[in-house]
Amino acid sequence: MPLLPSRGSPTNPYRTFGRKGWVGLQKAYFDIVQEWVKDSIAEGLLPEGTRLTVAAVADRLDLSRSPVKRGLELLTNAGHLTRDERTGYIVGNGTKAAPHAANLFTLPLPDLAPATGALARTGWERLMDEVAEATAACIPFGIYTISESGIGAHFGVSRTVTREVLSRLHERGAIGKDRASHWIAGPLSARMLDEEHALRRLLEPAALAAAAPIIQDELPAMQARLAAARPNCPPEDIDIIEADLHDTCTSFQPNRRLAAVLMHLRSGRRVNRLFAAHVVQHDESALLTEHRLVLDHLALGNGEGAAAAMRHHLDADHARTRERLKVLSVFEDPVVAPYLTRVG
Amino acid sequence: MAASKTQRPVLRIIGRSELVTQPTRDRTAADLGFPIHFELIDSIDGLARVVTRPDTFDVYHQWHTVDLIWTARCIQPIDIARLDHGQEILAAARGRTGPSRIIDTVFNKLFVQPDGRLGPLPSQRLSMLPLLHGVDSFGYLPGLRDLVGDEPESWGWLLDPRLQGRVAMISDPVLGMIEAALSVEATRGRAFSSIGNLTLEEVDEVADILLHKKRIGHFKGMWSSFEDSARLAQRGALIQSIFSPGIARLRSLGQEVIVGTPAEGSRGWHADLCISSEATGEVLEMAYAYLNWWQNGWAGASAARQGYYATFPARVRQHLLPGEWEYWYEGQPAPQALADPYGQQNIPAGHRREGGSHAERMSGARVWNTFMDEHTHIVHRWREFLAA
Repeated sequence: MPLLPSRGSPTNPYRTFGRKGWVGLQKAYFDIVQEWVKDSIAEGLLPEGTRLTVAAVADRLDLSRSPVKRGLELLTNAGHLTRDERTGYIVGNGTKAAPHAANLFTLPLPDLAPATGALARTGWERLMDEVAEATAACIPFGIYTISESGIGAHFGVSRTVTREVLSRLHERGAIGKDRASHWIAGPLSARMLDEEHALRRLLEPAALAAAAPIIQDELPAMQARLAAARPNCPPEDIDIIEADLHDTCTSFQPNRRLAAVLMHLRSGRRVNRLFAAHVVQHDESALLTEHRLVLDHLALGNGEGAAAAMRHHLDADHARTRERLKVLSVFEDPVVAPYLTRVG
Repeated sequence: MAASKTQRPVLRIIGRSELVTQPTRDRTAADLGFPIHFELIDSIDGLARVVTRPDTFDVYHQWHTVDLIWTARCIQPIDIARLDHGQEILAAARGRTGPSRIIDTVFNKLFVQPDGRLGPLPSQRLSMLPLLHGVDSFGYLPGLRDLVGDEPESWGWLLDPRLQGRVAMISDPVLGMIEAALSVEATRGRAFSSIGNLTLEEVDEVADILLHKKRIGHFKGMWSSFEDSARLAQRGALIQSIFSPGIARLRSLGQEVIVGTPAEGSRGWHADLCISSEATGEVLEMAYAYLNWWQNGWAGASAARQGYYATFPARVRQHLLPGEWEYWYEGQPAPQALADPYGQQNIPAGHRREGGSHAERMSGARVWNTFMDEHTHIVHRWREFLAA
């Protein structure tokens, strides 16, 4: 029997994870180019007459030339640019303005991309994030095989790229191979949650204590969001509140390696998110109270108190997560990415 | 128009076939006088629907799933004040006297605690109405003794090479894994750290042994309902894990069968009533009426005739013949031939129930039915076993 999605829940929960703004792979590179140019024109950053070359745009966005060329061609067809045989593309539709050059590096990158070039990442890296999230979101339900050809078809990438991605995920320990050499992922075991919790319990309170002195400016907005949240608020609101405490707060501490480790300790949050997406009634009042306690300590500048409150929250949340994992384990046919097939 | 306004809602109940037997269903409908729809589900397959669609049922006969369905909030707290005999539950929980002493586990997840979770501290809100409990082990035919002599009854028999091809097991992974682990302990002379909550490695160890045994033809078959298990015995399974209704069925068919009282202890269970979180208004009234109907003792008496114990047996006794009470609850020899829930005589005069009285039998509960922490892994390995 297929799982009946509960009312109001997303029909495709795996898609709610890992969206890193427009960098997500549901958008082709040439679309990214088009959006960036259109947005820049709209904001007045690329005035009429600005000359754009494929090479310069590719350089700024750290993309290869062919998607840039395609993006600019589409913009030309749509009337945003005019093709100039000698110099490239001119902003405006048959504009009379005198063509002039612009330093594209003075333009901001699109939303959410860090100034230091998130676009510099190669194709398989971006694909890897997407596949990693999709597999991480399915394993609380059981064991899945990952289809190489399915990934190729879903993302429109070659077998070589797919293999590169899966090999890297294999190295990271996120997926494995069965005896027949098929790629498999899962299941997420209670023990894996225990191990992750033990690590978070050591690292997160310390990260928070280190961040406490430098996070003051962020706190009022976080506290306001928390105060506004209701125990039965939509999962998306809880996402923001969880990100406030577990991502933003700890990101203020200066140790980058610590931040990188914490980023991979998110199975528990995924379980909670899937639970909220599938189960009709949920009550997050305990979580909200625990969060409030942590933020109150931070607001007082009490790093040690915040760390202790964080440990309490992590312990209580771990107990909830373990119970929720059991509920997810009885689901028969949850909706997952199309290149994943349940085998157990 | 008037007709549609006065049309009464239907109470929708989910339960296992041996918990809500035909006589019980018939009697409920006659006594309560409102329309009831029973949906019988004998596996854990329907659980996902219970968890995600509480709008599709009103009452659920839960069976080792209460913490899971409470976590999912698909059931609502039961108000003790609306139960005819709510005070009796509170008294038993406070005193832990009488049968509540030997079925502690029923009370451990019974009350809604101030923090919204389930626990033993008495409160006015219940997660479930406790109804029935018992211990399960295995049943065997007298012919088994030709192969094993007079050695004491043991779970190890389920994996005993002398019984190759004559063993059947339950196909449910939750219960099956517990029974298989009891068998592995007995045959391998090792002890699992917690037999009701096996680790990943322990699950693998048990599953590997089961797979090997299946491949060499050790098992006669697997069953998912008590009717199936009775059929397997008729087809030559000498020993199998079995529910007491399966035993009752075999005896009603004239098949002599012995219930094991294994040295290693038995697998305890309890089955209770829960109300959907979506039930409101008139339907909620009907749900409480159904709960109270179960408390009046008739259904508990019917269940006793297939070997089940009521958590509150005082009113059940009023619906049993003195000889029935003596046989089923006190472990005394049947003073006359006794009938099953369907009215067919299946216990001959003089027969004595294996394992003794209610208290004696329940004190043999070594482990209680439960969803283990590594349930997903168990299901995966169990499917491998079923498919081998």
